[in-house]
Amino acid sequence: MSQTATTTTVRETAVHDLILVLADSKRLLGMRYAEWILGAPELETGIACASMAQDEWGHGRLLYALLKEVTDVDRLEHGREAHEYRNIEVLDHAPADWFDVVAINALVDQALTVQLEALTDSSYAPLKQRVAKLIEEERFHSAHGVAWLKRLAAAGDESRDRIRNAVTQTLAVTARWFGPDSDDARALVETGVAAAAGSALRQRYLDRVQPLLHLLGVDAAACANPDFAGFDPVARRTAGSAPDAATITRIRGDKNRMFLMD
Amino acid sequence: MQSRSVYEVFARKNRGEPLRHIGTVSAPDDELARVYAFSTYDEEKWFDMFVTPRDRLVEVFNRRDVIAAQEGA
Repeated sequence: MSQTATTTTVRETAVHDLILVLADSKRLLGMRYAEWILGAPELETGIACASMAQDEWGHGRLLYALLKEVTDVDRLEHGREAHEYRNIEVLDHAPADWFDVVAINALVDQALTVQLEALTDSSYAPLKQRVAKLIEEERFHSAHGVAWLKRLAAAGDESRDRIRNAVTQTLAVTARWFGPDSDDARALVETGVAAAAGSALRQRYLDRVQPLLHLLGVDAAACANPDFAGFDPVARRTAGSAPDAATITRIRGDKNRMFLMD
Repeated sequence: MQSRSVYEVFARKNRGEPLRHIGTVSAPDDELARVYAFSTYDEEKWFDMFVTPRDRLVEVFNRRDVIAAQEGA
């Protein structure tokens, strides 16, 4: 009896931690896309950013809602301090330019998809019921990033250098995001919540993005064994790091606080 | 940055229906044309969708001359 209770607790905790990591990452990713609806290099890509932002925010809301039994979702969405966010670190600051946006679009969106794919047969039914829809809805996201990445790689030496630098930096953070083979990672796999975690999932991700990296001459092997010094495996980010103040103000909707209804 | 072409976008809502022309996108290559068409026309739940560069549409005939003559008469 107590054995069962303990197992359930370990599993539930691991699931809730993972859901918050995914929800926060999607919320911030949506915001980064939205920032480029206006000012993108061409009209159609601005429309694509609007569409992707809408998808990510929808997914974020759906994932936050899965936590309503265990926490105050309203506080999750509008009341947290910067250090409580669990988004993938590369989204902490607004991308400097379109090259960074493309790198995020191609690499972060794919990382979230790889993570979701590990949950399609989850023992946690609420996740299992929803992830297929999320994966289906975002299948064109990384395709957009990849198409743009190829275009920038083919647009002369300067453009190619800039996209290669953006990809190299983004990849290091994204590969590390899958985390070490920690107790949390083991708990997810052993309880059947996820088909893979930690280094196994990271390798799956690196294999997936390998053709892109090859195109740019970026070495995936360099990211296969990240340095986890200072890494918080629960928040899936460097301990003590957080989104910047401007990001938090926007993501919490501070300017619209007076319009929040019960 | 390379030049862009106009792509015609076709889709249908249900299996077996005729393809319907639903609009255009401008894109530098097929790959971006696909994602632009998807995100620009994603308000409907389509069964399938296709793009083709406008200059790859092969004309069978047109009635421009006949219509012009009639309008001129």
